[in-house]
Amino acid sequence: MGFVDVRIGEPVDTFGGATGEANARTFDVSGYSFLAVKP
Amino acid sequence: MTQTAGSHTEMLVIDREALRIEVQKKYAAVAVAPNDDYHFHTGRFAAERCRYDMDAVDALTEHAIESFAGVGNPFDLRDLEPGEKVVDLGSGAGFDSFLAANAVGSEGAVVGIDMTDEMLDKSRATASEMGATNVEFRRGFLEDVPVEDGWADVVISNGVINLCPEKAEAFREAWRVLRSGGILQFADIANGNPVPEEAVQDIDLWTG
Repeated sequence: MGFVDVRIGEPVDTFGGATGEANARTFDVSGYSFLAVKP
Repeated sequence: MTQTAGSHTEMLVIDREALRIEVQKKYAAVAVAPNDDYHFHTGRFAAERCRYDMDAVDALTEHAIESFAGVGNPFDLRDLEPGEKVVDLGSGAGFDSFLAANAVGSEGAVVGIDMTDEMLDKSRATASEMGATNVEFRRGFLEDVPVEDGWADVVISNGVINLCPEKAEAFREAWRVLRSGGILQFADIANGNPVPEEAVQDIDLWTG
């Protein structure tokens, strides 16, 4: 695969306040948006 | 069948079928009981947290919103354009598909792909409820997407690729269904700290 022009957005604290927060904090997990173009 | 998790260069293993069953159980519950307690946020609260355009969200019906369980916003880096053809990988109850359908309009088209029957039932019912004629939902897997080569202008996804043990296959399928010049715009989780092998092999951690 050769996606180009890859961009990554600002992180989202996806699990903050949810019951999955502890595991998310352990592994420093956040949500991100990604964009890439198929040339 | 036991498959490699993540890329094919990794030696960590997870049982693909067992993982699919557990993911289907989890998201079937989200479809039918969206307000129960999950390890992630759902519905309007989750959409606000993921920085969606809430005016666009408010244009949807409650059934289209309540089972949203995404982890970010696939429209954060680029808005869809009228007339575009969109594939939504792991469309769930259809939240992102319906936002996409409204954005691309009657000249565009959206195909949502999901493996969980309860989610497909809900998204199809909501499409009828909303009178959305430019969106359809098909049963399939991210590793085997039921869409023809090069059909899509845009592929979106939200919080689903992380649940796929064969991520390289999922990205190959996204590549295959995109036309040349097409755009993959998706949201998913990423970890800043390494995940130990025993955790990767723990299906409960994949789904919760």
